[in-house]
Amino acid sequence: MRIGTRALFDRSFTFVSVVSIAFMSAALLVLLGPIFVKGSSAFVFRATIEHRELMLDRFDRGNRDALAAERARTDAARAPVFEALRAFEAQLDTAGADFRRAHRGDFNELADLVRELLGPAPGEEEPVLMRGQYGQTRWDRARIKLRAILFVEDYDYSDPSKMGVKVLRPRVERFRGTSLEPAFAELEGGAGDMLLPRLTWYWRFLFDGSFDSHFFGGIWPEMLGTIYLVIGAMLFAVPLGVATAIYLAEYAGESHFVSILRTCISSLAGVPSIVFGLFGLAFFINTVHVSPSKSVLAGALTLALLVLPTVIRASEEAIKAVPLTYKEASMSLGASRWRTILTVILPAALPGVLTSIIISMGRAAGETAPIIFTAAVSVGQPLAVWQTLAQPTPALPWNIYNLATEHQAIDEIRHVQYGMVLTLVALVLILNLTAILLRARISKKLRG
Amino acid sequence: MREQLLISEGARRFKRLGAFFGHSLLTGVASSSIIAILFIFYFIMRDALPFFRIEGVKEFFSSAHWYPSREDAEFGALAIFVGSGLVTLGASIVAVPLGVLAAVCLSDILPFSVRQVAKPVIEMLAAIPSVVYGFFALAVFAPLLQTKGGSVLAIGAWIVLAPLALVSIAVASDVVASRSPVRARAAARVVAAALMGSAAVFALIALGGFLSRLPVSTGTNAFNVSVILGIMALPTIVSVSEDSLNAVGRELREGSYALGATRAETLLKVVIPAAGSGILAAVILGVMRAVGETMVVWMASGNAARIPSPWFNLLEPVRTLTATIAGDMGEADQVTGSARYHVLFAMALCLLAFAFVMNVVSEYAVRRSRRKGR
Repeated sequence: MRIGTRALFDRSFTFVSVVSIAFMSAALLVLLGPIFVKGSSAFVFRATIEHRELMLDRFDRGNRDALAAERARTDAARAPVFEALRAFEAQLDTAGADFRRAHRGDFNELADLVRELLGPAPGEEEPVLMRGQYGQTRWDRARIKLRAILFVEDYDYSDPSKMGVKVLRPRVERFRGTSLEPAFAELEGGAGDMLLPRLTWYWRFLFDGSFDSHFFGGIWPEMLGTIYLVIGAMLFAVPLGVATAIYLAEYAGESHFVSILRTCISSLAGVPSIVFGLFGLAFFINTVHVSPSKSVLAGALTLALLVLPTVIRASEEAIKAVPLTYKEASMSLGASRWRTILTVILPAALPGVLTSIIISMGRAAGETAPIIFTAAVSVGQPLAVWQTLAQPTPALPWNIYNLATEHQAIDEIRHVQYGMVLTLVALVLILNLTAILLRARISKKLRG
Repeated sequence: MREQLLISEGARRFKRLGAFFGHSLLTGVASSSIIAILFIFYFIMRDALPFFRIEGVKEFFSSAHWYPSREDAEFGALAIFVGSGLVTLGASIVAVPLGVLAAVCLSDILPFSVRQVAKPVIEMLAAIPSVVYGFFALAVFAPLLQTKGGSVLAIGAWIVLAPLALVSIAVASDVVASRSPVRARAAARVVAAALMGSAAVFALIALGGFLSRLPVSTGTNAFNVSVILGIMALPTIVSVSEDSLNAVGRELREGSYALGATRAETLLKVVIPAAGSGILAAVILGVMRAVGETMVVWMASGNAARIPSPWFNLLEPVRTLTATIAGDMGEADQVTGSARYHVLFAMALCLLAFAFVMNVVSEYAVRRSRRKGR
């Protein structure tokens, strides 16, 4: 081949491989972009008066008098709608059978939708479920509900060769000429006055308990459960892992036992996480009975096994990175091997060991499969420390799965799911960032 | 004088005893990993073997009838094995070329400062929890595939193939130019590039049209999961292959450059073959991550226990071993001791055995590459 062609080929190869790096970065951006954008809407959003009332009722937060004033304004704005509904219902009862047959179903549907948007009408009896007691707390959800009131989704099958086309028909057509007709214009124009949306910074999303299966409130039980699981896992994994690392770095030579040990550690790292979950169920719960059924303790033990190889490997590297001169200086002063390890090597390796612990914490926080059978439940209250020995807990990763797939109204609580995902990602990334920064400092220190 | 410096005989013996106990204690603690892996094997096997005793081995591996909850239950897991394999195959198609190229780029091509930026990207990809990937696949990617499936596929094909086509046309037209007479060289290059370029554009448009007409009936399918699993496996492949590429000594590279090879030739003909077994280990570890992954496949693979037709049809929903274990244990746990409970352990045993074998192979490969590097 000509030299020019070879140079061109060389440049093309460089181009393609740089493109592959660009692909990876793009993948990260595409992944994190929606999570950060939509996740932040759990914390910053336009909250309606219903949200402020909820905060006052449940947490005693906010100004009672200001809320009462706002309530008076919204009640005034809502009055015509409720009035029209009540009047129409009375008309239904008195009017003839034909009128009733024509409008009863439509009216009930409409009344339900209005109740979802604005909450129960004044004087109506209080619903049992909390989601019935309040209207929409978020303006973005309220807009969607309002659209559902104003328009009926329908499918147009006029062209038989194609699939049905979705069309929106104004709901008001069903009530044309009745006393309800003006209520639609009222709702369309005055929804803002009925709900008074205001931009709100709800940082307490992290620390509030949840109500009515996450329709309202925050994610504190999940946060706390994750924190318990991570700390519990570290309590078991760190002593075991660091001791093994010391053994491998300082005591072990090239014996047969050590090579078996290393193979076992790497095999442990390769075991699929779901198998850890099954093992936790079969061993910790069904055989050893650390707790009668799922518990934080069983989950923490399972997670500890899962992160053990990570702790061992990273700690061993940290211990091996301590310059040999430290050890020699200590030994030459007459310190025993033990003393050298405890007073010289471990302190010098401590930042590196901490890095390994932090990375494993991130791993333990995000693992879902091992805790499915051993620790996680969908709904639960925040636990006290002693309860962790026998009780299961909700946890961030499990509840993300649960809310995104098994919840009864997945689309209505998207913001909670995204909020949870953002929280988990932020937690893990912050832990990893800490580890990266710590590692950079160590390498600078050991070099200089 | 000398006697004063020395410790007494008793104290020395005591000290030696202490060191001995310390050493044995440490050895004991260190062997907890061995005990852990043995226990995992024992307890998974203890609950898996009853299944083969009750139901036999043949049906499990050869039949695709998976009806565990019926009155006359059938436990044919073939479709589930095929699902796992298909998803893993898809993931490796995404991850292996991209990962190896990225590793080469990181180890030999990018300047140090850019590398310092690219490394955290990989670490972040590795750190993101699997449930977050699963949530993305379910809540963002699946609806996109469902509503605009064909166009997503076509755009993806363009993004992947267009740079490749561009590069190969540039090289190929240069080859054509070099073979033609000197005076006509520029003209030959332009003509060849134009011909091949239009052919490539035409082929890409045809491919895009074909892909955009493909029926995508559901967004939660094997394709979705393959792409996401591929991205999840990338960091493992990149970091392990990069290590083995770095382990190939400077001497080999310098020798190749001294013979007049370009960087691409050095990489393709010297460095990558020398790091071959390390890259193989990286690929195995990355594939293992895809096989053992639970949350992504559980959330976004559709969980339909049937073999897609034809078997490589990635646009159909599939079901994998891990997702079956995770999904069915909730019901099966109520009936501990039944075949329905034990079959899940049998699946876990298959996963475990596969992971163990693959791990030993990759370890062997890594050791070989290290020995070679030295």
